[in-house]
Amino acid sequence: MEKVMLTGNVAAAWGVRLAEVDFIPVFPVTPQTEIVETLAKWISDGVMDCRFVTMDSEHSMITAAGTASATGARVFTATSSQGLLYGFEMLYTVAGWRVPLVMVNVSRALSSPITLEPDHNDVLAARDSGFLQIHCETCQEVLDSILMAYRLVEDERVLLPIIVNMDGFYLSFTREPVEVPDMERVRRFLPLYQPRHAFFKASQPMAQGVVVLGGSVYSYFKYQMHLASQKALEVYKEVCVEFEKVFGRNYDTIEGFMLDDAEYVLVMTNSFSTIGKAAVKRAREKGIKVGLLRLKLLRPFPEDDIKSVLKGRKAVAVIDQNISIGKGGILHSEIASCLYNLKHRPLLLSFIGGLGGKNISPGEFEFIFNKMITEVDTEEVERCQLLYTEEEWNEMVGLKRIAGKG
Amino acid sequence: MHLKNRIETKMLRLRFHGRGGQGVKVASRVLGTAAFLEGYYAQDFPLYGAERRGAPIAAFTRISEEPIMERGVITGPDIVIVMDETLLHDPQAMPISGLKEGGIVLINTPHSPMEASAKYKITAQVITLDITKISLDMLGSTILSTLAGAVASRIAGLREDSLRAAVEKELSEIITDRGLLEKNINASLYCFNAIIPVEIKTAGVIQKGSSVITMPFETAEISSPAIIATGNTPLRLTGNWRVFRPVWNYDDCTKCMNCVARCPDGCILVNEDGLPYTDYNNCKGCLICVEECPTKTLGMVREVHA
Repeated sequence: MEKVMLTGNVAAAWGVRLAEVDFIPVFPVTPQTEIVETLAKWISDGVMDCRFVTMDSEHSMITAAGTASATGARVFTATSSQGLLYGFEMLYTVAGWRVPLVMVNVSRALSSPITLEPDHNDVLAARDSGFLQIHCETCQEVLDSILMAYRLVEDERVLLPIIVNMDGFYLSFTREPVEVPDMERVRRFLPLYQPRHAFFKASQPMAQGVVVLGGSVYSYFKYQMHLASQKALEVYKEVCVEFEKVFGRNYDTIEGFMLDDAEYVLVMTNSFSTIGKAAVKRAREKGIKVGLLRLKLLRPFPEDDIKSVLKGRKAVAVIDQNISIGKGGILHSEIASCLYNLKHRPLLLSFIGGLGGKNISPGEFEFIFNKMITEVDTEEVERCQLLYTEEEWNEMVGLKRIAGKG
Repeated sequence: MHLKNRIETKMLRLRFHGRGGQGVKVASRVLGTAAFLEGYYAQDFPLYGAERRGAPIAAFTRISEEPIMERGVITGPDIVIVMDETLLHDPQAMPISGLKEGGIVLINTPHSPMEASAKYKITAQVITLDITKISLDMLGSTILSTLAGAVASRIAGLREDSLRAAVEKELSEIITDRGLLEKNINASLYCFNAIIPVEIKTAGVIQKGSSVITMPFETAEISSPAIIATGNTPLRLTGNWRVFRPVWNYDDCTKCMNCVARCPDGCILVNEDGLPYTDYNNCKGCLICVEECPTKTLGMVREVHA
């Protein structure tokens, strides 16, 4: 199949079109709006058979999406940052309904200050909600992940909603070569959604999303969600094998780059993994045995895969493109807890970079590699480092002056 | 296959600068698609601040013989295409910043390369072509997308047939008027052939390596995202956005004040004789006044930066 130049947004729209979705409730927000605009045009042109409704807010949108999914329809929606947080309570509610909604989040850093560029605080805020999470590095992966997402969450062993994440601007508005599979092949991979637990039939009324009283009753439902999410690890691996058989592209919960003999490992996610890989290549040319681990499936957290890749390494540096104010990098904490009981666990370093889409320069990567090497020697790990360069600081000095400050 | 102007890292990085509405994004896509169709790896994307007609916008295209392992804005381009020369005086736009040693600047201007270099104090190698004039002549508009994409393709060393196919592909997704599409193909091929190919002598990307610092603490008096200085919008003179300037001939003026009322930016004032006149410092050249004037008082001329 031929490749075409597509933005991440249009690649996402293609994934949705190929999945033959039934219902799309929308609300616009930069940088995802192009996804739903593209879908709207296709539906209006008659090349996509689907119901499309503009809602009054993301809170209503997520509610509509979850509810429609609870009637047995295959549903899609998309949002970003402020929108995701606006509908936040519904994320937990919809997940609790056990409906296989697929939602794309186009990551964008959160206000305040207001910005448009990406980081991962928005999508990671939803990590406790019950939504599964797949994070993409390329536009191809966005399209593929949407197809895989429906197959994964509609499996009766899972039946939880899922977020497919792509970075705003660096993927959403960036064109890269993408192979768009034909509908026939997709139909071989993705069967119809035929739920037995949540549907709407006049002859068989049911009550969904009921009220419970009593902690043990509530706990039952929550534990089952957790168990289903963990089952999803096994189902995801099956889906990956099927996907490769049909489309020829191989995915897993994680991706390793130059890891074979790596003594030092960078951990990253999403589109900046590309520049991380370039930095690893440059370091290898200088003789430093470094590799990169990209996390793709974040919920459920692929604990065993991460443990088996990171055990025995000298040092691991987690670059979080997010920050938990007052604590540090979110993924760093998750990996730390995952590695804690390992006998041969590596030193674990924490770096914050890329907030608001801030570039991570070659110099900053070199800084990280040098830190790993030094701290293996001294056996002392410093606290979380906030990456910032002298040039960037000088720019801020100028801006503060113009703003009348300091 | 070899990139004609190949550098150490086998990648060419181009940056387009223009104003919203001029077709900067499509230009970067015409180039990206042309490179992609010719068999290269390509990556292109736009960067807007304020998404608004007339506001400065940049777009980026990377072309490579190998998979592209870069993301984000291009800070060290090999080639800069300046689609609106008024940006060269704009301290916020700074189109040539970061241009690599040995890189090339193409400026859309009626000036010659020597005149442009002197006027804008550019030391890098300059190529000029008045693509606005070509656009007006051949397309009847000032949308420069395919023409800028064409000159970029030529400088990047791509083939004419790749450009033609790219213009066809990109425009057919935007316009339905086949006639206009054909005119664009002709105009872009004209521009492609109007450029004399040059050698780009940029070295591989030099890791300038700015050092990592430890961010010092500052109290919220400084570090809160608030601006204390008074607003300075009046200092930003938007008169340099014009392609055409409205001109006055008071013989037929009836002082109806339609122009004053219609100007969206309040740039038409009234003098002591009760006659309207333009504040050229801020007039953006939208020409609504010319269109709304019921007599022949208002005309327009091409704003050429002489």
